[in-house]
Amino acid sequence: MDDMTETKVRLAMVAAGLSPSDEEIDSLVATYADYQAGVASLYAVPETRYASPALVFTATPVFADWAE
Amino acid sequence: MAIDSLRQTEFPVTVTEAAAGLRSGELTSVALTSALLARADALDPLTGTYVTRLDDYALAQAEQADDDFANGIDKGPYQGIPIGIKDILAMAEGPTTANSLILDREWGAGKDGPVVRRLKAAGAVITGKLTTSEFAIGSPDSSKPFAIPKNPWNLDRSPGGSSAGTGNGVAAGLIMAGIGTDTGGSIRIPAAWNGVSGLMPTFGRVPKSGCVPLGYSLDHIGPLARSARDCAAMLDVIAGYHPSDESCAYRPVDDYLGGLTGDLTGVRIGIELTNHFPDESDPALRPCFDAAIAVLADLGADVVEVTLPLYGEVTTALWLMMTAEALAYHHNDLGGRWKDYYALTRSNVSRGALASAADYVQAARVRRVAQEKLAETFRGVDLVISPTAAAGALSHDEMLGRGIARIFKTVFTGYWDAVGNPALVVPMGFTDDGLPLSLQLGARPFEEGLALRAGDAFQTRTDWHLRLPKLLADSLAASP
Repeated sequence: MDDMTETKVRLAMVAAGLSPSDEEIDSLVATYADYQAGVASLYAVPETRYASPALVFTATPVFADWAE
Repeated sequence: MAIDSLRQTEFPVTVTEAAAGLRSGELTSVALTSALLARADALDPLTGTYVTRLDDYALAQAEQADDDFANGIDKGPYQGIPIGIKDILAMAEGPTTANSLILDREWGAGKDGPVVRRLKAAGAVITGKLTTSEFAIGSPDSSKPFAIPKNPWNLDRSPGGSSAGTGNGVAAGLIMAGIGTDTGGSIRIPAAWNGVSGLMPTFGRVPKSGCVPLGYSLDHIGPLARSARDCAAMLDVIAGYHPSDESCAYRPVDDYLGGLTGDLTGVRIGIELTNHFPDESDPALRPCFDAAIAVLADLGADVVEVTLPLYGEVTTALWLMMTAEALAYHHNDLGGRWKDYYALTRSNVSRGALASAADYVQAARVRRVAQEKLAETFRGVDLVISPTAAAGALSHDEMLGRGIARIFKTVFTGYWDAVGNPALVVPMGFTDDGLPLSLQLGARPFEEGLALRAGDAFQTRTDWHLRLPKLLADSLAASP
């Protein structure tokens, strides 16, 4: 791990309003490179170039109460 | 049948057996429920299955079920059957905790979610709310005021999660079946590690409203039971559209129990070897898997090799989206009550802050492409099978120490959550040290009936799902 990685992780946590301990930061830093490699692999899938995301949004809102 | 006659040799271990006994008059729901509650008195302190027991309510429902039988009212296979509900689903008779100090105890108070309501209408006897990993993503934490769930096959091992109490409760015989939820494997992992069956239905097949969310685009509710047949009977009850869940599918529900023909003639099964046998695999895994393939082939299936497309990328997309969606839900509480969360919940959910909004959308694009590619794979086969996990249950320390990303290098459930297809798991053998191993069967969307048919057929030729952990066998032998 390098100082830049730790800085990135700390900034991400601060930006999200989270307050992990130094030990918890170390844990996130230790796996950050693998995590970023995984994220990079998502952008390397050629077929996504013109793909729509698998997200759902409908114009008709759902008002039904689940308890009824 | 009186409680004192429920001995080892005749005690029903499956819902199917119990349902037959209730209809033949050999068994009453009150006797069955009383026996399981008594067993919970003895074993739950060891297994940590229950968060909340509802003994009085359960016995009243059992009495009602017996009255209904006496009056010729039959609401189906779950009438009079004691079951449990994972404690992230709302149920009117008890609080929902999500095994957490964080969740407002007023959330869902006095209300039933659609799945709970359907089970009640089917005459099921709900004995209580069951242990979950905190918010379905944490791991046991001895600093918090909740029981540490344990694996009845070996109490030093984890029962898996997040539906830990449902998995170990079925295995230990405290309940006949139960409800779990699955966002990255939380039905199938505890089913696998506890040696029982579990089904993650197609995304949208079962309404997920009335359940505390983990990942909105990934959450599934489904059954765990000893057999695939028992899972099919429960899916018959809980499947179907509900307007409160906008991702719930408005389409007919199959007759899952009626579809269990026992025949696999002409069914094309793809064997996935590429991504499912890492170096850490248990030595017994491949022999057990090969034996399972032989059973399925003997039942008439045609077997070919396949590779799941974009396996690594889809698994990455799953964790990215799950943690991002979970962080959105927990953002304010994590900011203000960090220490009230379990350590592993904090660790897992905070990873959602490492991804950008663009990363999240890109993960969703990968899921779309993977769906399309997987549909191509399913043009050549009807089912895809693999081990559920590379080894038996991890120890409690391994669960805490490995972190969720590393655990999922040897547990093969997440892919199916991300693509939305259904997946059934059934026991297929044991490690040399007596821990269950499990077979996973993935199917096309809304074809969980075929996976159940194959799992049921497999269980007509094998008895792995009927093996009892020593903890339960000893309890049965010691009963009066």
